Amino acid sequence: MNHKKYTTISALLFLAASFLTGCSNSNPPSVDSIAATSGSPSQSAAINTAFGAPLIATVVSNGQNPVSGVIVTFTAPATGASGTFANGTSTETDTTNANGVATSTTFTANQTIGTYMVTAAASAVTTTADFSMKNTTALVTSSNYSFYLVGLESANDGPNFYALAGSVNIDSTGVVVSGEQDYNDASNFTSPEPSGDIIVGGALREDPTTGQGTLVLVTNNPNLGVDGTEILGVQFVNSNHALIIQFDGSATSSGSMDTQTLPSTLSGGYAFTLSGVDGDYNPLVLGGVFSISGTTLQNGLYDINDETDDKFVALGTAFTGTVSTPDSFGRGTITGTGLAGITGITLNYYIVGPEAIRIIDVDPYDSSCGSAYGQGSGTFTNASLGSSVFGVEGDPWGFNYSAAGQFTVPSGGTLLGVDDNDEEGEISSASPISGTYSIADNGYGSMTIHRIDLPNGGVVAEEGIGGISALGIYMTDPTLNLSDPNNTHTGMGGALVVDLDGPLIGTGVLIPQTDTSAASFAGNYVFGAQDFFGGKFWEFDFIGQGSVTSGTFAGTGLVSDLGGFFGKGGNHTRVTFSGIATPDGVNVGRYTIPVAVTLEGSDPRDLAVVIYQASGEELLWMDEDRKGMSLGSLQQQGSLVGQPGVGTSGSKIKPRVK
Amino acid sequence: MEQLRTSLFLLIFLSSISFAPATRAQTIARKTEGPFGYNVSLEVILSGTVSVVLKQPAPGMIMGSHLLLATTSGPVDASLGRFALLSKVALPITPGQQVEVTGVVKTINGMQVLLARTVKTNGALYVLRNARGFVLSPQAQERAKQKTAGEEL
Repeated sequence: MNHKKYTTISALLFLAASFLTGCSNSNPPSVDSIAATSGSPSQSAAINTAFGAPLIATVVSNGQNPVSGVIVTFTAPATGASGTFANGTSTETDTTNANGVATSTTFTANQTIGTYMVTAAASAVTTTADFSMKNTTALVTSSNYSFYLVGLESANDGPNFYALAGSVNIDSTGVVVSGEQDYNDASNFTSPEPSGDIIVGGALREDPTTGQGTLVLVTNNPNLGVDGTEILGVQFVNSNHALIIQFDGSATSSGSMDTQTLPSTLSGGYAFTLSGVDGDYNPLVLGGVFSISGTTLQNGLYDINDETDDKFVALGTAFTGTVSTPDSFGRGTITGTGLAGITGITLNYYIVGPEAIRIIDVDPYDSSCGSAYGQGSGTFTNASLGSSVFGVEGDPWGFNYSAAGQFTVPSGGTLLGVDDNDEEGEISSASPISGTYSIADNGYGSMTIHRIDLPNGGVVAEEGIGGISALGIYMTDPTLNLSDPNNTHTGMGGALVVDLDGPLIGTGVLIPQTDTSAASFAGNYVFGAQDFFGGKFWEFDFIGQGSVTSGTFAGTGLVSDLGGFFGKGGNHTRVTFSGIATPDGVNVGRYTIPVAVTLEGSDPRDLAVVIYQASGEELLWMDEDRKGMSLGSLQQQGSLVGQPGVGTSGSKIKPRVK
Repeated sequence: MEQLRTSLFLLIFLSSISFAPATRAQTIARKTEGPFGYNVSLEVILSGTVSVVLKQPAPGMIMGSHLLLATTSGPVDASLGRFALLSKVALPITPGQQVEVTGVVKTINGMQVLLARTVKTNGALYVLRNARGFVLSPQAQERAKQKTAGEEL
């Protein structure tokens, strides 16, 4: 009886237990394993960036049956290298679906580099699924930059004229990955052709706030820079455009570095200028127009001002040529032009974009460098030129002078304005000018400037008056910014200029004057200039960054002064620039500003600077001193987001000073 | 006759078109006015004694090296340009030396200066500027010598 009773009770209890077990929803499913099925065995992501795949765990029972409704908890380390889920924490719970799969939200690496595990745990399972994760250094991308410089070489028993142009690939950490360049002093330091010099390494380091720093280029040419390593000072205007100077003691020069758009197809009309030395090592400048169709350069016309005896000034010489297909650095050749009467002259080009290329003469006995800019799809007339500012500066190897000014166009083909000229210390300030100009439909043109209010009460001095007067002008695309070809918003249009005044051998630019308001001349600016003075080594260059507030200018920069204009020959960092710009009461858009330049540990030295405002975004400035003259620009600084090489100042680099 | 004239006109017109690119290039007269413009027809030859040799200009002088000369017509500031005394092949000149200087007298910054094209001293002739007054660099002088030597071979 008792045994029977016990059996019955046991059976009832078993049935009850079985019923409860089978029917209750409150109990967890019967599971026996959890496995990481995605994002495994490992994932990596740059710090502060999302991993490519979510974390996925699959829960099964009996080794194969997916179990739904299981709560899975993903847990990343609370400290150190780790990451966060969409909830902003290192932990998240997710429920398995019908396939037994629990999927995390996006998991994002924190700012700490390292490897670690994220675990996935399910209730009733004693083991966990582990995800191996790795936070890497910042995402490494790279960009190509095209650069050029023109100035004076100190190395190779200088001074010599020299030019440098190239393309360099720089990754987002500032590492110089690779590049190509052409260097030419026409005096034995000419890069081997057709290969050019190979840039094998280096680094870009700049201050993230100011955009100022240095670019080290390690080349395979031991003659250049310091045992083959060149150092350039860089001052970014925005993330695509920088003013640059050579900054290693081997040479000094000014130029530009710009993001390359590759590949780009060269096509249509172009205006160009070149400045350098001819085969007799005398200065020359060239300018003109041409068009490109496929590999054919055609419809070329150029003007030349060449100091060599048998050439003088010649206008409108026709030329054609052949343009090679660029390589992966946007480098190609232009051959067969016969420019400057040089048979077999070879020019290399570096693409900035489809409407901007840098050009360098790579012959061993002549050297020059410049740019060609697209002319757009339209044609030109005298009406294509409106109110403008202009700047012209002498070839570094020629007679030293600079000029800047502004004019309006009262009627097509005539101009009225004002300019400043400094010819080796002979200065004419704020001279009223008039003139005429003519522009053909291909953008090839000329301009004549007269000074209508002579000094000395209008009395013409015995030797006449100086100043630029005969210019070749070559119109460019009205939607192209000549200083910053990647800038598609401001400072559009203008023309390239060649000075055809005989002894004045120089090149320059015309920029539309669109805003002369002093209120617009405010904000953060990048500035730079190439300055000539009377010395054994007669050039210094500077770049910098600062601000203008109510006319008060203050900035800090780099100065390459191998000839010792400031007393201490060499390269200088942390140089301060300051001054107060005074608007010209008569000529709106013109300012005078004594700029105090102070090297560390030195007394300031004033430069007598005059400014011509094209707009609030860009202004030309020139130094007009008895002992020196320069031409440069102020360019309003834009966003520096995305700059490579940000974070480490390059000021620790000690360039060689000869 | 009218037809002939028209044909002739057309021929001339077409010829001018077909030859336009080749004939468009033209040279223009080099500017000789201006403070540093150099008109060789105005050259003078001055003889004198070097009183001072200035590698760097004194205040008020134009850039480059200078010789101060004592001449029968008074003191003369002779501008030698950028390279004459500073290059590796500097002009061998010292105070007291007799020189004959060829150049053009200009008034620059209110001061008279002789832009010296050549300097003759101790029987040697040194060319400092070309016929247009441009200061010749050592490199340009070397290239000119090479060219002359090449032509003589």
